Amino acid sequence: MLRAWRGGRALWGRRGGKPSRGLSSNSGLRTDILSELGPALSRLGQTLRGHLPGADGSWSAVQPGYKSPPPPEHADVVVAGGGVLGWSVAYWLKTLENRRHGMRVVVVERDPTYSQASTVLSVGGIRQQFSLPENIRLSLQSAAFLRTINEHLWVPNEPPIDIQFQPSGYLFLASERGAATLEAGIKVQREEGAKVVLLSPNQLKAKFPWINTEDVAVASYGLENEGWFDPWSLLTAFRRKAMSLGVYSCVGEVTSFVADTADNTPGMPRGVGRVKYVNVRLPDSPELQPVSCAIVVAAAGAWIGKLLDSATAGLQGSLALSPIPIEPRKRYVYVWHCPGGPGLETPFLIDTSGAYFRREGIAGNYLGSMSPAEGCEPDTGNLDVDHGFFQQEVWPRLAHRVPAFQELKVKSAWAGYYDYNSFDQNGVLGPHPQLQNVFVLGGFSGHGLQQSPAAGRAAAELLLHGTSTAVDVSRMAPGRLWGDRPLLEAAIV
Amino acid sequence: MLKIILPTMMLLPTTLLSPTKFMWTNTTTHSLLIAMISLHWLTPSYYPLKNLTPWTGNDQISTPLLVLSCWFLPLMIMASQGHLQHEPHVRKQMFITTLIVIQPFIILAFSATELTLFYISFEATLIPTLILITRWGNQPERLSAGIYLMFYTLISSLPLLVSMLYLHSKTGTLHLPILKLSHPNLTTSWTTLMSSLALLMAFMVKAPLYGLHLWLPKAHVEAPIAGSMLLAALLLKLGGYGIMRVTLLMQPVSNLLHYPFLTLALWGALMTSSICLRQTDLKSLIAYSSVSHMGLVIAASMIQTQWSFSGAMILMISHGLTSSLLFCLANTNYERTHSRILMLTRGLQPLLPLMSVWWLLANLTNMALPPTTNLMAELSIMIALFNWSSPTIILTGVATLLTASYTLYMLLSTQRGILPTHITATTNSSTREHLLMTLHIIPLLTLILKPELISGTPL
Repeated sequence: MLRAWRGGRALWGRRGGKPSRGLSSNSGLRTDILSELGPALSRLGQTLRGHLPGADGSWSAVQPGYKSPPPPEHADVVVAGGGVLGWSVAYWLKTLENRRHGMRVVVVERDPTYSQASTVLSVGGIRQQFSLPENIRLSLQSAAFLRTINEHLWVPNEPPIDIQFQPSGYLFLASERGAATLEAGIKVQREEGAKVVLLSPNQLKAKFPWINTEDVAVASYGLENEGWFDPWSLLTAFRRKAMSLGVYSCVGEVTSFVADTADNTPGMPRGVGRVKYVNVRLPDSPELQPVSCAIVVAAAGAWIGKLLDSATAGLQGSLALSPIPIEPRKRYVYVWHCPGGPGLETPFLIDTSGAYFRREGIAGNYLGSMSPAEGCEPDTGNLDVDHGFFQQEVWPRLAHRVPAFQELKVKSAWAGYYDYNSFDQNGVLGPHPQLQNVFVLGGFSGHGLQQSPAAGRAAAELLLHGTSTAVDVSRMAPGRLWGDRPLLEAAIV
Repeated sequence: MLKIILPTMMLLPTTLLSPTKFMWTNTTTHSLLIAMISLHWLTPSYYPLKNLTPWTGNDQISTPLLVLSCWFLPLMIMASQGHLQHEPHVRKQMFITTLIVIQPFIILAFSATELTLFYISFEATLIPTLILITRWGNQPERLSAGIYLMFYTLISSLPLLVSMLYLHSKTGTLHLPILKLSHPNLTTSWTTLMSSLALLMAFMVKAPLYGLHLWLPKAHVEAPIAGSMLLAALLLKLGGYGIMRVTLLMQPVSNLLHYPFLTLALWGALMTSSICLRQTDLKSLIAYSSVSHMGLVIAASMIQTQWSFSGAMILMISHGLTSSLLFCLANTNYERTHSRILMLTRGLQPLLPLMSVWWLLANLTNMALPPTTNLMAELSIMIALFNWSSPTIILTGVATLLTASYTLYMLLSTQRGILPTHITATTNSSTREHLLMTLHIIPLLTLILKPELISGTPL
């Protein structure tokens, strides 16, 4: 006020004579609207066009800009991982509960296109020729489930499920060295009720004339419940039925657990933790949604080890968790065309050297591969295929066993991850010894898809009833992974 | 009366001005002291109304409910400590403030001698309860629960307001002692029927009567523990108490009004007991059992005999204590396992053996085991109903059978069975939880020694 009195115009005047802006703002607003109108209309047009069918008449399944709903804030069971094991356990949880609005089961899957999931990249075989009774029983029950799949998984108003099961059986060839193991395995398999026969080289030659029986001592052939099927159909059947029973599905990645441990909860025993919340990171955003839950099922396949490591990174304190030895291992699959190859009754043949192949379709295509030797594991950073592996390792062995394969042309190839249990290459099924309400379901190392219906059922029964009635899976509990008695399986492909 | 209402209102500054370290201690102790003082209301007197003031008065049916409401405030505060412990201090204060704001209104409602004051405080308890459910509940469904609670109560209480105002203009007063002495001036026409229906509807919704009960399972399940305790123990009794008060205005109650309410109440007791057998959610099971017990209370209130009123009063008190105890037990489960599903919170006896004693006692009182007051109440009601009409014994008998079966089902699924693997290392029961259960169970077990205190008979 004093300044205005003394300086005259100091309050209202300007210093330095800058051009005045004018007190009227009308013109500014008008130009803003006009300049915004054009882009706004074009955006509107784009959105409308996005909702119309495409140029070739197809509808896009997902509208542009569609964001999948976030997971609910509270659930009773969170299944981390939406592969076939995750959806199987979700389906069995709701089926065994047998109520419409009981437990809330949420399946969290980070990649709805399943581009790297082991389930859909799997070769899809199912066999009972294992050496462990648990594995045989799990596969037998899964086979019975798949045989009657429409009784279990059919949803009204949908077409009947067809998993395109080819009942061609598995054929294991054994040399002199492996003959004893094979015959011991057959005994166990027959005891469990699998239908397998032993074939001598002559019988083998008579049945499958295209085999070169050089250095084959004995072979075992599965007569029933063995073959291969389409993993994608099984996955979508489980998913559709589970969602019709009320399982929630959401897209996101389980990043961390918030747990009660001895550090932050008085009265909690040392070395044990209980997960209260699961933090789910929503796709394309740094946002975390906490989902409070009673039970977490870690069914993330090859990434269970990584999931549990990153999720418990903040909890180490008094827990001192040792890492779980389930890791991804890359395996290749090659598809080739051989016009003179074996016919329609070709089984899934596993050679003495470990190379395997099976028929694919009815037009003379076959697919096969081999697990790399210990120590030569390919890098798991990406799913690029090494064609040199086929040329140098797989083809010579297969061509030696099946002379017709000396002339073939590779049509395509892909790679997928085994959820490899580096302790003993067998499934892990049971509650985590330290994180009480985390249930581990994975590490099946190549035979997860075929055991998924029965393993999911065993897991659901363990969670809801405390014991699994059909198969006794107590030996597959995660506790063994840090002990010194591996549950070894002889017939790992 | 003022020696209770003033300290209750002063609990508000106690909460807001206490240092952080002492807030829980101060509020719990203060409300326990108020509860102790309120016990003196139980002293017998040969006046029809004790502690008479121009607006309030205690008589034999409001005294037990008043003592119950004062008793429950410290219990609610103690029960909320668990789930609020990680919240910032201001939020804890807001929660306790909401609880305290309800308290004077409930005390006014139960002690009002003027029906208009009763109506005002009846409606006033609704808003803080709504805040409790929709702001502090756990699941997204709490919004729908709040809407059901609010609209059911509001829509049914509008006719109550209209008919009360009309009666006031006709009778000249709504003061209860004067109404008791005045001659009923209603004729037996359809307008009397409508007026009686309008008066009763709000309380039937609140009690709740089967058929108007849809808000209750939602509200009880979605509310936090203090909200569930408040609803089960106190707000439902507002309905029963209201029926007892307003039927005074409808003498003689016509049969046309009796039969629908009696039928719905007794049949509802059967239906909701059967629903309990099929529940997957523990809190929902306890909520439906509340509907079942209150159905008996409504049936007893409708037949208007001395024994039935006495039975209804005792059942209201016993059921309030039992239901609240069950909700507290369910909450201790929920805080440990984060799930209310019966299948996932099972087999707890080996894990928490001391809590299983409280579970056993709560379930025994719920199924009216002798020698508890629950049995006394149920027997009085059953006999009074049988005297009024013989076939009702079938309905009440089957309801008792079903009550026993779902209560045993609840006990066996939560306590017995194969040990679940996902809750083996839970935190032990704390002293606070044991104290909470003790304070519930002591009145339940010792009231049988002097049931005249709560029986609604003039002392």
